[in-house]
Amino acid sequence: MSTTTPMPRPKLRAEKPSTPTPERLQEAKAERKMRRRHLRGRLDFKYSPYLYISPFFILFALVGLFPLIYTFVVSINDWDLLSGAGDWVGLKNYQAELASPLFWNSLFNTFSIFLLSAIPQLVIATFIAAMLDQNIRAKTFWRMSVLVPYVVTPVAVTLIFSTAFDEKYGLINNLLGALNLDTIAWKTDVFPSHMAIATMVNWRWTGYNALILLAAMQAVPRELHESAAIDGAGAIRRFFSITLPSIRPTMIFVIITATIGGLQIFTEPKLFNPSSSVPGGPDRQYQTTVLYLWDLAFNRGDFGRASAVAWMLFLIIIVIGVINFLISGTIASSSDKRRPRRIPGRKAKRIKSHPTGSLRESANDE
Amino acid sequence: MNPSRTARLAKVVALSSSIALLAAGCASGDSKDAAQPASADNPVTLTITTFGTQGLDPLYKQYEADNPGITIEATNIDTGGNALTDWKTKQAAGAGLPDVQAVEEGWLGQVMTVSDSFTDLNEYGAKDIAGDWVDWKVKQATDAEGRTIGYGTDIGPMGLCYNSKLFKAAGLPSDREQVAELFGGADSTWDDFFSVGEDYVKKTDKAFYDQSGFVWNAMVNQLDEGYYKADGSLNIEGNTALRERWDQLSAAASKGLSSAQTQWDWGKGQAFVDGSFAVMPCPGWMLGNVKGQVEGAGGDASDGWDFADVFPGGAANWGGAFLTVPSTSKHPAEAAKLAQYLTNATSQATSFEEAGAFPSNIEAQKFKAVTGENELTKFFNGAPIGEILSNRAEGVKAQYKGADDSVIQEQVFGPATIAIDKGTDGDTAWNTALLTLQELEIK
Repeated sequence: MSTTTPMPRPKLRAEKPSTPTPERLQEAKAERKMRRRHLRGRLDFKYSPYLYISPFFILFALVGLFPLIYTFVVSINDWDLLSGAGDWVGLKNYQAELASPLFWNSLFNTFSIFLLSAIPQLVIATFIAAMLDQNIRAKTFWRMSVLVPYVVTPVAVTLIFSTAFDEKYGLINNLLGALNLDTIAWKTDVFPSHMAIATMVNWRWTGYNALILLAAMQAVPRELHESAAIDGAGAIRRFFSITLPSIRPTMIFVIITATIGGLQIFTEPKLFNPSSSVPGGPDRQYQTTVLYLWDLAFNRGDFGRASAVAWMLFLIIIVIGVINFLISGTIASSSDKRRPRRIPGRKAKRIKSHPTGSLRESANDE
Repeated sequence: MNPSRTARLAKVVALSSSIALLAAGCASGDSKDAAQPASADNPVTLTITTFGTQGLDPLYKQYEADNPGITIEATNIDTGGNALTDWKTKQAAGAGLPDVQAVEEGWLGQVMTVSDSFTDLNEYGAKDIAGDWVDWKVKQATDAEGRTIGYGTDIGPMGLCYNSKLFKAAGLPSDREQVAELFGGADSTWDDFFSVGEDYVKKTDKAFYDQSGFVWNAMVNQLDEGYYKADGSLNIEGNTALRERWDQLSAAASKGLSSAQTQWDWGKGQAFVDGSFAVMPCPGWMLGNVKGQVEGAGGDASDGWDFADVFPGGAANWGGAFLTVPSTSKHPAEAAKLAQYLTNATSQATSFEEAGAFPSNIEAQKFKAVTGENELTKFFNGAPIGEILSNRAEGVKAQYKGADDSVIQEQVFGPATIAIDKGTDGDTAWNTALLTLQELEIK
C-alpha cells in the first residue's frame, strides 16, 4: 500500500520520452503496478462471484454432467458389466428397450404407484394443513408430530410395512381374517402391491407436504377470511374460495417435487419383499423403472441397456418437468390477470378518486 | 437436480471406482519387493473379502502369528448377493479387488466368464494338492483351459430336514434311519419323495414341504447338465429331463404338497413351528438357518426337527464358496499361500466349528470337530450331522454353470415355482417361464 504514491501522471506523459532515468523507470514501474492493481480490482469485481459459485458447478460437472454424458456413451455400446465395452451399436439399446415388455411394465408400475401415492398424499396433506391452520391447542406439538414419519429412514419404514403387509402372517391380513373378510395378496397381485407401496410413500411424505402447505396457508391474510366470514361464507366455502387459490404457487411446488420423487421410487419396492429372487416381485408386479434398470445393470450385467433406460427415464422426467412448467405458467398468469400487479401512477390516482369506473377502464386498457 | 439423479447408476460406478482406485493406491504399498516372500523385513499387507459367516476370523490371527511380516486386512460383507454386487462393480471398474476374494458357487458361472482375470493357482502348487478336496469341488473352479482359479472352502451337500413330531402324528416312522428307508434309502427317487408326501397330505390335510423353489433347485442341480449344456449352450427348451422333473414337481404342488411359503422368510420362522410343513431339502449350511428360524419364532429342539441321511434323485450340492486370487493382486504368491492355508484341513475344521461351514477338504470331513457333537447336533435331536453330510457329499457331480445360470434360477424359474405353488398348472407355468427367458434375452 505505502509503496504507491499518487503520481502526477498527465504531466509526465506530456513530456517527451527521452533516455530512461532511474526515477522514470521507477515511476513507470509504479504506474504499471497501479494499473495491474486496478485491473485486478476490476477482474475481482467482475469475475469473483463466478469463482465463488464455481464449486457447485465443478462438483456438478464431476458428479452430474460427466456421469450423464458417460451414461450416454455406455448406452450406445454393447457394454457388459464384467467384460466391459463391446461394439458400438448406435441406438439399438434404445430400440431393444422400447420393444421390451419388461421396460413398459416398469413404466406402468412407476406411473401407477406415482398416481396412487401423489393424489391421496396431496389431498390428505392439504386437509391436515387446513386442520393445523385452525386455532388448536398445542400447535407446535401437532405440527412437529406430522413430520415424524419423514425423519424415519425409508428402509425402516419399508421393513415395518412389509411385515404388516405379509400375506400369510401379516398384521393387516390377520385383521381382515379376524373380520371374516378375504385376505389380500399384497405381495403378488398388481394393484394391492401398488397400494401397499403407495401407502409407505404416503406415510413418509404426507406430513412433510402438509407442513409446506401449512406455511403457505399461514401467509394468507386473515382479513380475507374475516371479511368473507362477515359476508356469510362458511368454513368450507372459505377454504375453497380463499385458502386454495391463495396457496396455488406452493401447491405447484409440492406437485413438482412429488412428481420427481415419485418417478424415482426405488427403496420401497426393492425392500418390500427382500426375499424375492426377482427385484420388484416374482412377476415384476411392482418393479419400478429405477429398480428395473438396477436389475438390468447389476443382475443381468447389461450395462449398455441399463444406461439406455437411465437416459429414457431422464428424458421422461424432463418432459414431465416441462409440462409442469407450462401448467404452472398458465396458472400463474391467470392469477395475475385477475389482479393487475402494478397500476401506473396516473391511473392509480384516478382509481383513488373514482374507484369502480376506472378499475374497469384500466382492465380494458390492458 | 434431475440430471444427476437420473444418472445415479453411472455415478455409483464412478464413485465406487474412484474409491476403488484410492483403495488400490493405498493397499499393499508397503512391500519393498513384491517378488520376495514376506518376512519381518519385507512386510506385506494382504486384503481379503469374504461374505456371510465363513468362520475365518480366528484363522487370520493364527496366520499373522505364524508368518511374521504378514498383515491381513479382512472385509466381510453381510450376504453373498451383496458380495456379488461388490465384486462385480470392482471387476467392472478394473480396480479395488482384494488380494483374496471369496466367490460363491451360485455366481461362479459369472466369475468363470472372466476367469482369465484371476490367478491360476496351479502356478502356486494347487495341482499337487488337488487330491485334498472332493474332486467335483476342484472341477467347479477349473476353467476350460485347465486353470484352477479357486481353493474350495465349504460345500453344501444336501440331506432331508424333517419334523419327527409331525411324521409321528401322521403315522409315519420318525426315527431317522427309518425315515431314510421310507424315502428309498440309497436309491431314493423323487417319485418316492412325492408319494410319501401325498400319503402325508392325505393323512394330515397339511402341506408336506415348505415351497417348490428349493426342491426345484435341488432337482436341477443334481442333473448331469442343468440349464446349460457342458458346451455352454442354453439347455432349457426341449430338455426332456428338466421337463419331466418340472411335471413331477408341478403335479405335487397341485396336490397340495407345497405350503407355498415365502423363501427365506417363512413368516419370520412361524412356519417352522406351527406345523405348516414337515420336510425341507437341506444343504449343510441350511441347518444353522433352520435352527435360527425355529428359535426366532420362539421354538427349540423340542419342536422335533431332525436330519435324515437320504436325498431323492441322488446326491446333490447347493452352495459353498471358493477363495480366489484376482490377477490385480500385487502379491499373488503370498495371496495364494494365504488362500491355501485358509482352506487346508485344520482351517476348514475350525471354520466348521465357528460357522458350521461343511468342509470340502476330505481329511477335514473326518476330523472329530466335524463328526462330533455340537450345538447343531443337539438341536437336531442328536443327529450325526458331520457324518451324514460327508455321506451326502459322495457322488455329487460338478455341473457346468453358464454365465446366466443364477439369473435363470432366480428370474425365470423363481417366479414359475411360486406360480405352481399358488395353483397355476405346470404347463402354463413352464410356458410362462420360456416366455420370460425370451424377454430376458438370455442366450
